[in-house]
Amino acid sequence: MSTWRRGPAIALAVATLASGGSWADVAIEQVTTAKLAPATPHRVYVTDVAISHIVDGRVHVVDGDSLKYLGMIASAYAGQTTLSQDGREFYVATTYYSRLSRGERTDVVDIYDTATLAQVGEIPIPPKHAQALNYKGILRTTRDGRFLLVQNATPATSVSVVDLKARKFVAEIPTPGCWTVIPSQSAPQRFAALCGDGSLLVVTLDGDGRQAKMARSAKFFDPDDDPLFVQSENLGDEHLFVSFKGKVYSADLSQETPRFGSPWSLVTPAEAKKNWRPGGYQPIAVHRGTHRLFVTMHPNGKEGSHKDPAQEIWVFDFDSKARIQRVKGANAVSISASQDDKPLLFALDGKNMGLVVFEAANKLVQKRRLDPLAETAFLLETQP
Amino acid sequence: MRWFDDFFERGVRGVARRTSRRSALTRIGRLLVGSAFVLPVLPFDRIARTAEAAQKKSPPGETSCDYWRYCALDGYLCACCGGSASTCPPGTEASKVSWIGTCHNPHDGKDYLVSYNDCCGKGSCGRCLCNTNEGERPAYRMGLHNDINWCMANTDSTMFHCTTSVVVGLAEKS
Repeated sequence: MSTWRRGPAIALAVATLASGGSWADVAIEQVTTAKLAPATPHRVYVTDVAISHIVDGRVHVVDGDSLKYLGMIASAYAGQTTLSQDGREFYVATTYYSRLSRGERTDVVDIYDTATLAQVGEIPIPPKHAQALNYKGILRTTRDGRFLLVQNATPATSVSVVDLKARKFVAEIPTPGCWTVIPSQSAPQRFAALCGDGSLLVVTLDGDGRQAKMARSAKFFDPDDDPLFVQSENLGDEHLFVSFKGKVYSADLSQETPRFGSPWSLVTPAEAKKNWRPGGYQPIAVHRGTHRLFVTMHPNGKEGSHKDPAQEIWVFDFDSKARIQRVKGANAVSISASQDDKPLLFALDGKNMGLVVFEAANKLVQKRRLDPLAETAFLLETQP
Repeated sequence: MRWFDDFFERGVRGVARRTSRRSALTRIGRLLVGSAFVLPVLPFDRIARTAEAAQKKSPPGETSCDYWRYCALDGYLCACCGGSASTCPPGTEASKVSWIGTCHNPHDGKDYLVSYNDCCGKGSCGRCLCNTNEGERPAYRMGLHNDINWCMANTDSTMFHCTTSVVVGLAEKS
């Protein structure tokens, strides 16, 4: 239908509505923007690199109780994401090109208000941020919330320090051969990184966010025989890692020199024979209140299976190192636990990109799922 | 593993591959760090093509994720995007840096070093996503890591389009 013919038809329809025609039983509306209920600890942020249109990544925001899709945050080209310490802001370190896929490159930290999901500011950063799949540790805040630490890769590795109070980039700290940012939970000026020689790099910032000290620990894991997944979770200032073959490592960052716990195995010798191993992109979660550790596990593990979805999720008591439960794994490639006293465990189903919700207060029980949620998501973060 | 198959509906799985070429991987990792990731790029892989032609049943070809040299690839196969296993699609630019895999060629029984160069400058190809991880390591071993955009060092545009698998040499036995 041509425009000149359609025009009068629309005009007539509007006129009928405006005159309060007898069929207008539905109340007349005006479009507005939805307001969010205050965030709860059961709100989850699912970062989706959307690899088939990677220039246009997004973060899905979902309420874990109702499974209502609350809204979206734009993460642009391979954007990395993290919440602020108080949960009021959400940061996206990302890249924009002036002509979408070419032209001038601009890297920024976009700031979103989690009460509205609106973009409220941006901070320019050096055009080096890691354009990577989303792993926890590529973008983190210091414990006091003052600085945002941005993993860079050119592919030389460094960390950009952004002052969140002054809203400006402060310094770039070279971290050659090392990866991720692991913020100390008791000394906010300190962070660590995992290094390719099996050591931990420990960096201390001064009050302005510039490098004050840097030291390498002794080797504490064997990156050749049994590499560590880069994701860490903390209980206090003890930071936990798992290895490809299923050992738990820990590093205490409360002192200037890290103290390492004795590695222990998630698997019995019989399970090791069947090659039960952790797998995925975010293979561990902890509930800090109860010291429980959740791990995504698959059997028949082998070289190259380290990103495979879970056949089971195993639950451990971190203090006694005892396994307390095994449940079906929901094909999880990433998991994250809320930290309230009625915790949920969120799992991302790697096969169909659905969000699976477990109640985790006592026994871990799968309750509901939202399918599909994402295109190619790898990172979950829960509201503090 | 090809668990992405379930989601992205690609073809049948097939060729079993050898594992554990750790010493070669380590050596290459060191080489990469030491040489700022600049790699020699050898001519096309004629060995595989010859061997492939000699087979009665056609083995997985270069548009299949099961093709032997795709053993540590995470990306869209350039062979489905207008290029080939070792060429970038028209109008894109090969990445200046790459990660390295060691893949077993079942046709001649040899292990080859494979440079996974991304092709850059246009948005994602979106065809034939392949995710394999033999010998893949976290980014603290950057030269063996495939979850990062290897267009990152290109100056015109770091936009990721697809991934090639260029044979760059024979791997020594571990």
